[in-house]
Amino acid sequence: MDASLPSLQFIDVTKSFGPVSVIRGVTLDVLPGERHAVIGPNGAGKSTLFNLVSGLFGLSTGDIRLKGRSIAGLPPHRINRSGLARSFQITNIFHRMSVFENVRIGVMARHGVRYGLFRPIAGKRRINDEAREILSLVRLDARADDMAGDLTYSEQRALEISMTLTTGADVILLDEPTAGMSRDETARTVELIRTVTTGKTLLLVEHDMSVVFSLCDRVSVLVYGQILATDTPARISANREVQEAYLGEEAAS
Amino acid sequence: MRTPLIIAAVLVALAAVPPFLGLGLQNALVNVLIASLFALAFNLLIGQAGLLSFGHAAYFGVGAFATLHLMRIIEDGVIDFPTPLLPLAGAVAGLVVGAIAGFFATMRSGVYFALVTLAIAELFHALAPRWQGLFGGEAGLSSMRMPWGGITFGSTLQVYYLTLGWVAISIWVLWAYTRTPFGRLTLALRDNEQRVRFLGYNAHATKVIVFAVSAMFSGIAGALQATSNEVANYSLFSSHVSAQVVLYTFVGGSIVFFGPLLGAAIFTLFAYLISDLTRSWLLYQGLIFVLVMLYAPAGIGGIVQTHARHWQRLDWSRLAGPYALGGLGGGLVAAAVVFLTESLGVLFDEAYAVARRGAGGGYPPFEAFGIPWDPLSPVTWGVPLALFVVGLVLLLRARRAIAERWDAVRSAPAVPAAGPGPDARTASTQQIAG
Repeated sequence: MDASLPSLQFIDVTKSFGPVSVIRGVTLDVLPGERHAVIGPNGAGKSTLFNLVSGLFGLSTGDIRLKGRSIAGLPPHRINRSGLARSFQITNIFHRMSVFENVRIGVMARHGVRYGLFRPIAGKRRINDEAREILSLVRLDARADDMAGDLTYSEQRALEISMTLTTGADVILLDEPTAGMSRDETARTVELIRTVTTGKTLLLVEHDMSVVFSLCDRVSVLVYGQILATDTPARISANREVQEAYLGEEAAS
Repeated sequence: MRTPLIIAAVLVALAAVPPFLGLGLQNALVNVLIASLFALAFNLLIGQAGLLSFGHAAYFGVGAFATLHLMRIIEDGVIDFPTPLLPLAGAVAGLVVGAIAGFFATMRSGVYFALVTLAIAELFHALAPRWQGLFGGEAGLSSMRMPWGGITFGSTLQVYYLTLGWVAISIWVLWAYTRTPFGRLTLALRDNEQRVRFLGYNAHATKVIVFAVSAMFSGIAGALQATSNEVANYSLFSSHVSAQVVLYTFVGGSIVFFGPLLGAAIFTLFAYLISDLTRSWLLYQGLIFVLVMLYAPAGIGGIVQTHARHWQRLDWSRLAGPYALGGLGGGLVAAAVVFLTESLGVLFDEAYAVARRGAGGGYPPFEAFGIPWDPLSPVTWGVPLALFVVGLVLLLRARRAIAERWDAVRSAPAVPAAGPGPDARTASTQQIAG
């Protein structure tokens, strides 16, 4: 991989739903190995942006490139195989399967056993070992045999993040990973994200400013479907325009 | 584990007992086996992939017709083909037709998927009577099993063993399927199709494969029926066949691997035993279906599984009473319903109208269960109604008592206070589909 090439490039991306224009020309480079946050008021289009990158929606105009290759218009599974994985804001796990199996499904995909019909999964030692490693990384190993639907909320969030890691993607998108968590849980999750995304590129949507400031190298502010500014967290918080558009709102409330 | 022991015992019984049974019962057992395989193949879709097909008769029928074509070629002496391998024709036909039909059906999910499968089966049902060459027109196709390898395949018993062999192996393969990576992926698809896609899987391709495998085993079931009956006509594609397998599966319990097998066995034997006695047997079958869906949605298999899972903690000295009471209440209600249904059946029959005319327009006694009853006597209707009410009261009381005791069982702490570890593991192995 060319190190100078951005991991993820948005080139004048727009998205409209009928007459409603949600993303109105986003151009942004996410550099290899950086942790990049997208912040912005509700309705700014942060989740839509994620859905465009990961292939849930098609873009209206523009292009999105993953490591230099266009991924615009590809279905989600092809984008995932190209090395981009995402988590969901609303927990999106396999509720009626064990925690271990939730992770193993993703690990199977990485090992390319997508259509393994002729050998039992129990015999695939590397897959099972790797799934267990990922579970211990996110400290869910004690709950490996429990149904995923029976986990606590923060455990489900941790599982959500771990599933994003399983397919071996090096560009990770996390959609509000700490939403709805207590302060303690948030701190733990931030540490977890820091550990598991080392050496990877992270794009993060987050409302909690303390998470953004402690975790991210650069921040982009998205307001009404456009990037207002992209800079280091410190300079973003000092940016007047941003304060007015976004941080000011919070301070005022 | 008790499960392998139970399976072994069932297999031994299925192999050892039939020589001592009459022809009728041997034939009924062949139908039980075929229905069981059909139901398990169907349940691969609904129980494991979460796709409800209303048109599985299509693949059952295709398997049957393909096998009959092969049998006719063999009969004509064109090729020499081992008779025991006849169902392979059904497997191949089911797989191919299933892959094509599945490609279109699985483009949609939920209700739309169900409607597309229904439409495909109806297409076959409409096409078959008009297509002389492929489906033999309205009369259908017939052929003969040829002797092979010193076996005549003439007797019902030989057909039975052939069927048993194929069904046992197929069920084992279907079970092994749940243990493969693809089998696990099938479950994931049922739980959350979107996440499957975002983990790098092509969900549509996955569903097409599951559909084709299900159709393949349905095709084998159809092939076994063709081998056994030596005839097939377009009625195999009827919605009745598609509905029947839905019934087997849900009454048996789609969330338990062997559940549909129970449903298929019970209903097939029920049809064999009851259909000669009464014309209302389809009504009873429908009643059973409705009651199971309302009061035991996990099916008979679900009930069996719940008991097996909590076996250690069940206090039978406290449970036996309410269960017996419930059984008695259920029996009374059933007796009353059967009496009323059969009596009304007789009273609204043409024959009774003729008898009334013979009696000058009055209400002569009618005969049900070999006994004459006076249609105007309060006893005739009062006694069954009283039985119904008493039975219902007993049933409701038993239900409350059973629910109380089960709540106690469920809320009791795990036996060795070891937490969820081993208990959860056995639970997940027992409940293959979840």
